[in-house]
Amino acid sequence: MLFVQGVSPSQLERSKKVFPLMQEHIEAGFPSPADDYIDIGIDLNEELIRHPSSTFFLRVKGQSMSNAGILDGDLLIVDRSLDPKPGRIVVAIIDGSFTLKKLTYQKGIPYLEAEHPNYPSIDLRHHDNVQIWGVAIYSIHSLGHISN
Amino acid sequence: MAIALIDSNNFYAACEQSIDPSTHGRPLVVLSNNDSCIIARNAAARQLGISMGQAYFKIRHKLKTLDVEIRSSNYALYGDMSQRLMNLIKANCEEVEVYSIDEAFVKVQRPSNHDLKFWAQQLRELIYQNLSLPIAIGIGSTKSQAKLANYIAKTMSDYAGIFDLEVAVNQDDWLEKIAIENVWGVGKKLAYWCRSQGVNNVKQFRDMPKNLLKTKFGITGIRLQHELKGKTCLELSTKPIAKKEICVSRSFSHPITNIKDLRQAIAIHTIRASQKLRSQKLQANTITIFTRTSHYTSTFYSQSASQHLNIASNDTQLLLSASLNLTKQIFHSNRLLMKAGVIMQNLLSEDSLQLNLFSKYSAEHKLRQECLMKVIDRLNKRYGQNTINWAICGANKDWEMCRKHLSASATTRFKEIPIVIA
Repeated sequence: MLFVQGVSPSQLERSKKVFPLMQEHIEAGFPSPADDYIDIGIDLNEELIRHPSSTFFLRVKGQSMSNAGILDGDLLIVDRSLDPKPGRIVVAIIDGSFTLKKLTYQKGIPYLEAEHPNYPSIDLRHHDNVQIWGVAIYSIHSLGHISN
Repeated sequence: MAIALIDSNNFYAACEQSIDPSTHGRPLVVLSNNDSCIIARNAAARQLGISMGQAYFKIRHKLKTLDVEIRSSNYALYGDMSQRLMNLIKANCEEVEVYSIDEAFVKVQRPSNHDLKFWAQQLRELIYQNLSLPIAIGIGSTKSQAKLANYIAKTMSDYAGIFDLEVAVNQDDWLEKIAIENVWGVGKKLAYWCRSQGVNNVKQFRDMPKNLLKTKFGITGIRLQHELKGKTCLELSTKPIAKKEICVSRSFSHPITNIKDLRQAIAIHTIRASQKLRSQKLQANTITIFTRTSHYTSTFYSQSASQHLNIASNDTQLLLSASLNLTKQIFHSNRLLMKAGVIMQNLLSEDSLQLNLFSKYSAEHKLRQECLMKVIDRLNKRYGQNTINWAICGANKDWEMCRKHLSASATTRFKEIPIVIA
């Protein structure tokens, strides 16, 4: 039987909710030639999130993945419907917290590998209670020009 | 065709744990509004003998010594997780009736070998992988059978959360094991009467003489019996039922005794209720407000007041002035008020609106108000509840519900998303 991961009507609804402001109340007189070309605009939700029901946001803290381009303070988009295949950057639960690392296999042994020389890899044989929680799909890094 | 009931176990507790790994492997309980009593427990908390409905203040110390994680109810989180759950179910089943925040009935085609176990297992694993919610799936040929099967799946551990009553080898033995009280739709009264007739379990109920049941419980009793025999009487209702009224009410963290606080509370509830009307494209014809003291005081007081509107409306400004005018009618200066609320009644769809010839509001005024409400709703939706608010709501709310153990709104508020250590 075929299973569809996380496809949801809300994805469609979400993009519908973006209204261009100029649709209403067009002044009489010369009609705008742009009227027929109004697009709904680019919706990052739609572009970046394939499975809204199973996508979660997390905030990155720490430097261990910096060589993979994931920096302290980044916004991480995690898709839990994807399989944690080797080579993917995953969010795992170790010792009661979310941990971000790359899942690898070395000679058949699973490791959570850091992407920074100062941080050791985690040998999963030494942990009984590791759960791979989700697969990271995007990390959004602020360039610091916008303050909240 | 088969009917399955998909239902999340300990839903509130599971939602809390789903986004907070520090709680994994530990007992956890969720408290009701105002942190008053226990309304959900995870498996570990159950094993410690903590029961449902217990008053929190009575067992606070015990919970502390047992190192139980405490949570105030976080409806923003549960609502979001529920929507995700239902969307996953909808993506995988033909017809879905969302029955409650954590339950859905679905229709599924039986494969040629009649075995739906594989389907159920896959769906269960998918939901667990995507949302960390453990679920139970009960399958039968009717809704009542699915509900029973779900009860078996959940309570009898051998079945790992999945039970198919329709293909169970000895269906009668199973039905014999379930007490009459545990049948969906059998209330206390019916259960009591059944027992007085010597009917103690589901099998006996299913096989009891039709006429006897009919004299006592009429068509509802007969229907239930039919359903248990596998004949469909309750169809799946896949369309949401039209709302008859909308109620917004809250208990206060501590009793209030002045009209200023009551007006503030009534205003906040009215604003919320009007917003709900608009989001469902409804208008109300009547507005009712109420307040009451605690049920446990010797001087119990409860009062309500209503106003019928000339034209149905969902305009906050109009509804607010109606409800605030009513407030002095329900206030009692010598009573410790514990709760207040607003009910919108006689609801109509926005499109079925008739204008009143003698209304003091012009059509143009109405249109302007509609635009204003739209803008306010949009801003509050985008930038968070209360971004724009009415002055009467004020900045300080002394009486606001106490939720000392509230978890982050990890899936609905950008500033509260969880941290991942890299």
